[in-house]
Amino acid sequence: MADTIKDTPIKAVQVEALVVLKVIKHSSATFPTPATGSLVGMDVNGTLQITNTFPFPAIDMPAQDSNSNNNSHQDNSSNLAAAAPRAKANTAYQNEMIKFLREVNVDANNVGWYMSTSMGNFINLNTIENQFFYQKEMNEKTVALIHDVSRSSQGALSLRAFRLSPAFMAAYKESKFTTENLQKSGFRYQDILVELPLTIHNSHLLTSYLHQLPSSIPKEELDFPPNIAALQADPNTPHPPLFPNYDSLDLSIDPYLEKTCNLLLESIDNHHTELNNHQYYQRSLGREQAKITAWQQKRKAENAARAASKQPLLPEDEWQRLFKLPQEPSRLEVLLNSRQVEQYARQVDGFTASVSSKMFAVKSNLLPGE
Amino acid sequence: MADQDSFLHLARPLGPVPVGAQPSTAPLNVAIQPQAIFSILDHSLRRPADQERVIGTLLGTRSEDGTEIEIRNCYAVPHTETAEQVEVDMDYQKQMLALHLRANPREVLVGWYATSSELNTFSALIQNFYGQQGDGTWPHPAVHLTVSTVPGQEIESRTYISAPIGVTAERAADSCLFIPVPHELKYGEAEKSGLEIISSAKDREDRSQPIITDLEALERAIEHVLDMLNRVSTYVNEVLDEEASPSSALGQFLMNALSLAPKVDAADIERDFNNHIQDVLVVSYLANTIRTQIDLSNRLATAALTMGTGDVPAADGATQGGGNREGGENSRGRGGGRGGGYRGKGRQQREQEA
Repeated sequence: MADTIKDTPIKAVQVEALVVLKVIKHSSATFPTPATGSLVGMDVNGTLQITNTFPFPAIDMPAQDSNSNNNSHQDNSSNLAAAAPRAKANTAYQNEMIKFLREVNVDANNVGWYMSTSMGNFINLNTIENQFFYQKEMNEKTVALIHDVSRSSQGALSLRAFRLSPAFMAAYKESKFTTENLQKSGFRYQDILVELPLTIHNSHLLTSYLHQLPSSIPKEELDFPPNIAALQADPNTPHPPLFPNYDSLDLSIDPYLEKTCNLLLESIDNHHTELNNHQYYQRSLGREQAKITAWQQKRKAENAARAASKQPLLPEDEWQRLFKLPQEPSRLEVLLNSRQVEQYARQVDGFTASVSSKMFAVKSNLLPGE
Repeated sequence: MADQDSFLHLARPLGPVPVGAQPSTAPLNVAIQPQAIFSILDHSLRRPADQERVIGTLLGTRSEDGTEIEIRNCYAVPHTETAEQVEVDMDYQKQMLALHLRANPREVLVGWYATSSELNTFSALIQNFYGQQGDGTWPHPAVHLTVSTVPGQEIESRTYISAPIGVTAERAADSCLFIPVPHELKYGEAEKSGLEIISSAKDREDRSQPIITDLEALERAIEHVLDMLNRVSTYVNEVLDEEASPSSALGQFLMNALSLAPKVDAADIERDFNNHIQDVLVVSYLANTIRTQIDLSNRLATAALTMGTGDVPAADGATQGGGNREGGENSRGRGGGRGGGYRGKGRQQREQEA
């Protein structure tokens, strides 16, 4: 019985309002460097409740251990920051923090990590490695919360929860991303990340508090202001409500499209580089193959001559020692890149949907009667 | 919130404390960021069942002259309180402070909070601890924030700083005068989108709200605007029908708002509209084309195609797949990647020209 409860996969993620605000605060403070932090909470019948969070320390000095984890990456700050969740120093920090949080009755289980990003540009090796580290080393039931700072500033909050699929976990563990393996397993780039439905949850106290925000409703009947200055100065004049957010009525199009185009181009370039790598591999493989075939034919001819002259035959499988086939480059980058492009395309779709309706609304407003 | 109270600060003789060891009691303004309040409310919910109030440390920033304080963060500190004595885990407070400062080096200790409006001897004791020299906020005054969490009543928050009062030396440690200071809730643009979705759940029974898409957010905003327009036009109609009392100030305000509508030529609008809608649609189309191309490329790369060329002797499975893949990739490289790339670039240039 206990096992069946334990094995319930996570079906949904429920985030406390406190966590949302803490993540937003940390992300916007460090923007554009990605911010990372740890999430604590618990798993209740397949719903992962994230109830608190704390940021990872800012990386001010190039720590030695992050180099060993972060091999072959340039040591720029954003890479270091993105690699923070799996740095050894931060694991220690996290354990210590959780120990302290337990004393004040916070749910002291690590349930994942969060990262901030810009324009949905988060599907890369760092994210994957972090999440792999968490799902493998820490706890199987962990999620990555991705908060998109630049999209959130345009209106609706962008906060998403991801996990690595079991198929990807298995493949990544053996780091087998060769063509042959992909053919055999039928693994596609759509299967790398699993997105979980995310809901935001408020406590009773918070609900009560929110009803006072941004200002309490005046209790007595209000008089009309004597003039317009008094109207603007009156503290009882209602502030714009927190909800709904009128920023989403904003009609700015070009910056968004431009950024998305740039990111798409970048992805295409990456894809191209990977393709070139593969073509290079193909060519060198072809050359080696040709050499081996030539060698084999030569050896066969030699053996035929030896057989004719009744001499002992030379072994025919020596080519395995003499020639070395080139290693096939991993297709992981290609897969991630493809997933990233898919992400951009969906993002653009969402943007188009809302912006075109806004534009038609503006047009018919300014040109009535058409 | 209680921030509409008015405050009057009077210069007054100070208590018997040596000059120089005395925190400033100048009035100051306190701005509180919502995540600090949220965190305090969360702590209040998680308090031990037998404890009336819980306390914690406030972190934030202070302006150079010390008159503006922004409370940005806070953390809980365990403490026990009985009728006779209070015990605060100093060690915990110190270590937690060190941990927090590692993650947020720009924040400093500014004071402490309690989840009850009551001020008593213990409050004074803790206040003096937070305001002391060395580990405390000295020479700046420690800010005390109280957030009442009494069920059935509104949540009230108040902020205080303290001044020593004239009592005997042995009672100086546990007595002080709490001076109320004004405070306000302050949130930036970044927090607004978060607060929006959080507060959209406030009228719901289950107190939760799934993440909404851009389109839903737009729909709600438009509905809300329409609703407000209806209210205004109802009021204006009632004034016209002499059912409601008119107000010249409101009339002037409405006139000002109406005059903001731009006067533009119909042809200009038509042209701008067409340009922009084309931009949007083309980028959307291109993005989806690129996605399809990449998908196709991936499928070709891993498809086990046999072109009917027969088996290559002495070649293993990988070679065969590889050979076929080469063909697939070549065609894609030219047709998709380049094409997509050039088209994308062409698009980009046009956009910059526009």
